[in-house]
Amino acid sequence: MKVEDVVCPFCGCLCDDLVVEVDQNRVIGVENGCTLANEKFMGDRRLENPIRKEGRSWSDITYDAAIREAADILIDADRPLLYGWSGTHGEAQSVGVHLAELLGAVIDNTSTVCHGPSIMAIQEVGHPGCTLGQVKNRADVIVYWGANPIDAHPRHMSRYTTYADGFFVKEAFKERKVIVVDVRKTESSAVADEFIKVERGGDYAILSALRAIVRGKRDLIPPKIAGVTREQLFRVADICMQAKFGAIFFGLGLTMSPGKNKNVRNAIELTEELNRHTKFTISPMRGHWNVYGSNEVFTWITGYPYAVDFARGIAFYNPGETTSVDILRRGECDACLVVASDPGAHFPRACAEHLARIPTIQIDPHVNATTHLATLQIPVAVTGIDAEGTAYRMDGVPIRTRKLFDGTYPSDLEILSKIYARVKEAKGS
Amino acid sequence: MRVILKTRPRAKPRIPIEAETIIPQNFLRKNDIRVYEGNKERKLEDLFFITVEGPAVSPDQVEVILTGDTGVIKRVGEYMNAGRIIVEGDIGMHCGNFMSAGEIIIRGNADSWLAREMRGGFIRCEGDAGHYCAAGYRGEKRGMRGGTVEVLGNAGDFAAEYLSGGEVHIHGSCGDLPGVEMRGGTLTIGGDCLRPCGNMTGGICRIFGTAHQFLPTFRKNGTEDVQYGGKHYRMAAFRGDIANRGKGRVLIRA
Repeated sequence: MKVEDVVCPFCGCLCDDLVVEVDQNRVIGVENGCTLANEKFMGDRRLENPIRKEGRSWSDITYDAAIREAADILIDADRPLLYGWSGTHGEAQSVGVHLAELLGAVIDNTSTVCHGPSIMAIQEVGHPGCTLGQVKNRADVIVYWGANPIDAHPRHMSRYTTYADGFFVKEAFKERKVIVVDVRKTESSAVADEFIKVERGGDYAILSALRAIVRGKRDLIPPKIAGVTREQLFRVADICMQAKFGAIFFGLGLTMSPGKNKNVRNAIELTEELNRHTKFTISPMRGHWNVYGSNEVFTWITGYPYAVDFARGIAFYNPGETTSVDILRRGECDACLVVASDPGAHFPRACAEHLARIPTIQIDPHVNATTHLATLQIPVAVTGIDAEGTAYRMDGVPIRTRKLFDGTYPSDLEILSKIYARVKEAKGS
Repeated sequence: MRVILKTRPRAKPRIPIEAETIIPQNFLRKNDIRVYEGNKERKLEDLFFITVEGPAVSPDQVEVILTGDTGVIKRVGEYMNAGRIIVEGDIGMHCGNFMSAGEIIIRGNADSWLAREMRGGFIRCEGDAGHYCAAGYRGEKRGMRGGTVEVLGNAGDFAAEYLSGGEVHIHGSCGDLPGVEMRGGTLTIGGDCLRPCGNMTGGICRIFGTAHQFLPTFRKNGTEDVQYGGKHYRMAAFRGDIANRGKGRVLIRA
């Protein structure tokens, strides 16, 4: 059976035009998907049942026993950490936040290692953004800053920017100018009209210089800044100011290089400056599938988008203090619940070491690097394949994902709801 | 009155203690002082051996001395408005938050957000300070607004972010972007720093070491002579950051 208009559950693009062929409870083919999507749908090496580490080996346990043990570990902890959430749907994230409040835990999502600094910058100076539909139909100048969409978001260019014809941009490939800013040549820079090769850590200075140029202070700019010539910066500023509609997309090259949130703030302020001359927008290239949704859900419920600490019974937020990398690096937490993420693969070594020292519970369909650090793993259905739910695209548009077949695994929502019920009963609340 | 708080051994010593209740005025009247250890509320005596010496009739006569494993204790001196706190070792994050008067002396290192949004008083850290020394909270438009912070060692990144008033003096070096978004007050850096005063709109920053990767958006504005540490220095003067209004002043040793 072929299912049409399937939403891809991999990256923040949430491409919603996939055709997936299903045979009983297995995906056997994917059309329109990128290589990342194909691997996500076709990858079939799931854990069969919950497992518990005993000494140096693993033993199978039932779902009920695993849920009971997970709840007991979290109840006993003085500073539990609930991390992940970006690979699951909003309904499960919502239960996670309520669970964190009940436990007095810290709850954090993968923004902590991707676009957390972008959110901090947006909290300082706002977000002149727009939907991807606006970009597709209107933008004649596209800037990719510290991002390599051909590798990380393979269909971004073909669906929304370089190769996507729009209502006001009839022949996109000819009419759109593409500017790529990066520290090295990439596949994306190869298709750019203008490639700014900036020295590592030089983004802040380049952004400041561009702001000054757009403000009409060209006389002050030295001949070379962070490896970029003054003439190229003048040229790029002119392209941007002469655009009918420009869109900046930025990635981790900006958020995770020295300066972090201040880089993003500078980019937002450049966008604001350009809006004195034309229309310009800026948007983060969100990577983890529903990471934008986790920011939304956390914010509805707590007022904060990530790194929310409920230790005092009320929500407190302070990246650098309540972010999971910092908590783990300092060895603060005494239990961890990982949901729909793989910190064992993404976090610094000191954090992974601490995860291995404390009771770590993982709720995830697959065996991954975190499995080797965990004491307990509960396999679940994959949202968008055998579980349904709501996810947010990188531009903040919510999209409902469908269940392609009825599988045998419980969803994240079911498992978390049972853990929540048990914790609630134990706490008598 | 002298109050000596010595930390008790704990089963999980890395779990932070949140202790905004450790301020001199609380020891004058309160008997039941509570702090948080992780998500558990504790009595002060559960976590500290407490010794009280002598009387006091006002908060400015109270001196609190913290000893032991104090590096994970956060928010000591928050909203402090009189008296004195002496930390014999290191201190955790947010020491002196919103402090308006009194004095805090830290013999060791201070973790991040030392003197966050401080209004008045004096803080001296004899070791190093972490990131965001004398800065603001996330999204806050003003950092430290008054008083004096002196760090005898080095400071981390984003020192004096959003500095709006008062005086910050780092005797050693600073990390990345000291004085970023600065809008008032005085920042003095005795050593080196990286990319000082990005996006500043006001205030004065004096740098007596080397300013690495100095941003291109500052306009040279002659020289000035200043006194520092009993010596006379000729400083190159800049105005900026002209990426915005550019009304701040940066002086760098010529």
